[in-house]
Amino acid sequence: MKKNLNLLSIVFLAFTMNAYAQESNNPIDTLAAYVQKMNTTVTNQSKLKISGYIQFQFQKADTLGINSFAGGNFDAKTDNRFNVRRGRVKFAYAGTLSNYVLQFDVTEKGLGIKDAYMNFTDSWLQAFTVTGGVFNKPFGYEIAYSSSQRESPERARFTQTLFPGERDLGAMLTFQMPKASPWNFFKIDAGLFAGNGTNPEFDKKKDFIGRVGIVKLTPNEKIKYSFGLSYYNGGVYQGSVNTYKIWEDNGVKTFFKTPIGTDTIGSFQKREYKGFDAQITIETVIGLTSLRGEYVMGIQPGQSKTSTSPTTDFTKVTAPATAPDTYIRNFKGGYIYFVQSISHTPITLVVKYDFYDPNTKINGNNIGLTTTGAKVSTAADLKYTTLGLGAILAVSNNVKITAYYDMVKNESSSNLTGFRKDLKDNVFTLRIQYKF
Amino acid sequence: MKRVIISVIALAFAINGQAQRIKGSDTMLPLSQKEAESYMKTNSTFKVTVTGGGSGVGIAALIDNTTDLAQSSRKIKMDEKIKLQESGVTYKEVIAAYDALAVVVNPNNGVSQLTREQLEGIFIGKIKNWKEVGGDDAKIIVYSRETSSGTYEFFKEHVMNKKNFANDVLSMPATGAIIQSVSQTKGAIGYVGLAYLDKSVKAIKVSYDKGKNYVEPSMVNAKNKTYPVVRPLYYYYSTKVENKVKPYLDFVLSAEGQKIVESVGYVPLK
Repeated sequence: MKKNLNLLSIVFLAFTMNAYAQESNNPIDTLAAYVQKMNTTVTNQSKLKISGYIQFQFQKADTLGINSFAGGNFDAKTDNRFNVRRGRVKFAYAGTLSNYVLQFDVTEKGLGIKDAYMNFTDSWLQAFTVTGGVFNKPFGYEIAYSSSQRESPERARFTQTLFPGERDLGAMLTFQMPKASPWNFFKIDAGLFAGNGTNPEFDKKKDFIGRVGIVKLTPNEKIKYSFGLSYYNGGVYQGSVNTYKIWEDNGVKTFFKTPIGTDTIGSFQKREYKGFDAQITIETVIGLTSLRGEYVMGIQPGQSKTSTSPTTDFTKVTAPATAPDTYIRNFKGGYIYFVQSISHTPITLVVKYDFYDPNTKINGNNIGLTTTGAKVSTAADLKYTTLGLGAILAVSNNVKITAYYDMVKNESSSNLTGFRKDLKDNVFTLRIQYKF
Repeated sequence: MKRVIISVIALAFAINGQAQRIKGSDTMLPLSQKEAESYMKTNSTFKVTVTGGGSGVGIAALIDNTTDLAQSSRKIKMDEKIKLQESGVTYKEVIAAYDALAVVVNPNNGVSQLTREQLEGIFIGKIKNWKEVGGDDAKIIVYSRETSSGTYEFFKEHVMNKKNFANDVLSMPATGAIIQSVSQTKGAIGYVGLAYLDKSVKAIKVSYDKGKNYVEPSMVNAKNKTYPVVRPLYYYYSTKVENKVKPYLDFVLSAEGQKIVESVGYVPLK
């Protein structure tokens, strides 16, 4: 009797929940129709995925007000700070062979857009994907490697300098065969980008960025290895009348105006990077061991006090004298990670070494020297190396705690005030991340 | 009233404390269901829920902490190990049973035996007509599992020598769908776990020595190791829930549990 009552209750509930499923008088049909409708709703809703993470951290620097690549410069009166380093919310809708992605970054500094792009894949080979919008530049490995997964709190100094924000506005074509294909290991990304980061486009020139890479596993699945070659060929709008390059005169290496320096407004200074990256993960008795490395070299048009390319719109400057001069530098940079997970524990240890030499044509005491008619080289020409040591505790699939110590070493020059010796600018970071 | 509410909450916690979620391989679904039924009979407070979806789905659920046990008809992959480490999940692996993979055709098909090389040719699309392997002049219609299936990966690795499936292969979401399709389509061929074999399909004898010996997929041949297409079936679990899942796993590995393995059509460990 009780069972019958329960059955009746379920049937009644089904009827009341779906007033429109009345075509059949059979309660089972009604229930089936309701379940079908629910199933369709759930399937549609599951196409929209919301994910995100928050990184809250405490940092302690060696001295007050240091310039730092460990999450930004410290304020003048501060050698320790709390901050929300990243607060990401990502909305991704996966349609048929297509995706729509919006990602925001919400911190105490405000709201910023990180990603806004769509992509679609051809239905025939399912190998060609077109992506358009604001998204990660397809260069190297570290740019696309999510900050929520990365073992070091920040990307390498050269990545932050050459690719601030990691994203750009553009269109990209990707070739990669579907997962089931034996050629899935091979991937090509090639795109044209505005070259101004996430800023609106203001000049006519597009930057080409591309990467060719492979990812392979050994047959016993104990070793995973991958590598890639990247290339960037673009230009930076010349808003000033002056362009400077390093030359040597009377034993002094410094910046001299280029011969065509007086008529370069409106032209584009070449921005060219070549990169190689490789990664390997090996499973051993002590856990997973990963080695990742990247090396980049090239030509970078920057400014006197920074080697970062300007992203400001100088096309509308009416008085060229107010636009900053361009300083052309040959650079090289790289990093290597050693990551060791400890078997049967949620602990991972990391050692990272990175270097960035923004100006390979000048070093040591030449930096800061000048001569008649030349421009002096600055702290933007100093080479930096950073050795980072860290430990990560994955508390759960949501929570991760990272303790990390950055030991920063700068090139010194007796001719550069403030940089006659290595600065005290090491930073300790204690970060807690919640990811969903 | 307050006492009743507290009792209900306490009961819910008590039941939830024992409830185990098993998710993953469709191949292992009949085994886990039967084991769970018998296990729950041993103690009325034990509660086990079993769902399929494929081995990959089960391991993804283990990473997301939405299952206690992931059932898998293949070994865990390197990328999954990396994700588990990132999620702070330290895991353990238990082999619960073995499964023999049977190649099946429609009962009206005259072909009764095939070499591994012929199977590879059929599934990569090189052999397209049954007459090429001694059968009637009829097109071969190939059924396979979806890529998230452990059975799919095992078959590709061990029978097809890691070669790729033909583009016109029909992907089925579950083993039952392959049985149904093969039973209703004269020129069809597919692969299923031994436990799924029934009279609606015909199991093919397989040769792994280029046609010298053909072996029928059967419990006897799987146990005496003469049938070559046999694979282990795994349970994976987080060490954080070891106390919770251990009684169930002990039951599966016990003499009683292994009897169930055989009764469902899988190969026991001993």
